[in-house]
Amino acid sequence: MADPGPETASGNPAPARPLIRAGDILILLLAAGLVGATFGAFWGPRGQGEMALVSVNRQPAFELMLDQDKTVDIQGRIGTSTIMVDGGRVRFLDSPCPGRYCVHSGWLQQSGEVAACLPNGIVVEVIGGEREYDAINL
Amino acid sequence: MSGTHREDRLVAGFAALAIAIHILEAAFPSPLPGIKPGLANVITLIVYLRHGLRLAIWVAGMRILVGSLLVGTFLSPTFLLSATGAVAAMLALTLVGTIGGRQVGAVGLSVVSALAHMSGQITVAYLLFIPHPALLKLVPVLLSASLTFGVVSGLIAASVLQILSRRAGEAE
Repeated sequence: MADPGPETASGNPAPARPLIRAGDILILLLAAGLVGATFGAFWGPRGQGEMALVSVNRQPAFELMLDQDKTVDIQGRIGTSTIMVDGGRVRFLDSPCPGRYCVHSGWLQQSGEVAACLPNGIVVEVIGGEREYDAINL
Repeated sequence: MSGTHREDRLVAGFAALAIAIHILEAAFPSPLPGIKPGLANVITLIVYLRHGLRLAIWVAGMRILVGSLLVGTFLSPTFLLSATGAVAAMLALTLVGTIGGRQVGAVGLSVVSALAHMSGQITVAYLLFIPHPALLKLVPVLLSASLTFGVVSGLIAASVLQILSRRAGEAE
């Protein structure tokens, strides 16, 4: 233990000790880029669905591509439901059910999201892409 | 043997400083859980740059052990997170310090070790405590905070080192 160990900077008096050195600036730039990239990686669009699967009376009826904006009317058990695709999202625009829970479900975007109009027997589910969990138990 | 005694005193003194800062910091409420300035690492940085890696590891180890005993988090999840962060920070510090040599000063080392500290903690927190994707949503916020505090700690350490070396110059 007689060896005083590596004396990195104390032994020889450094002529000037600038607060920030060249390597620091390089590291700062790299670190800022890395941290910026995490915003994109963790906050970016994840699990973006690719299409909406519309089922009528429990039978898969047809699929709507989410990248093509359009509005379709579907005949269900008690009337006509209107489903709208806009900007990669899908929603019930209107439905003949009393509660309008399906309409109030709002826009669906993430893979796995579901809106259902049970009285009319119509279910819209976003599929494709990376599926997010909808619940986790520990 | 005199070298050993001198080193012991150095470690004890610096560790005491770091522990004091650690406890002062623990007393302040944090705006966000998981975020604190980590000013005690200023001491680790100063020790590393002036006296080398071995003493820095001693000082950081003492700070975590004694600091957690005094704050009351010894062997708790907090302690595990703290220790993991410190190990990750030390590894990063060693790596960058060895590669960068004299080109890298306190600010760069501080930023690297702060980011490594936070990344290590997030990894352990995610794997052991909260394996939920929502935790990952916090990653950008946590890393931004540690980047900011890393720069601040680094600047503090760099100015202290500047003052210390000026003192040493005057004494000679």
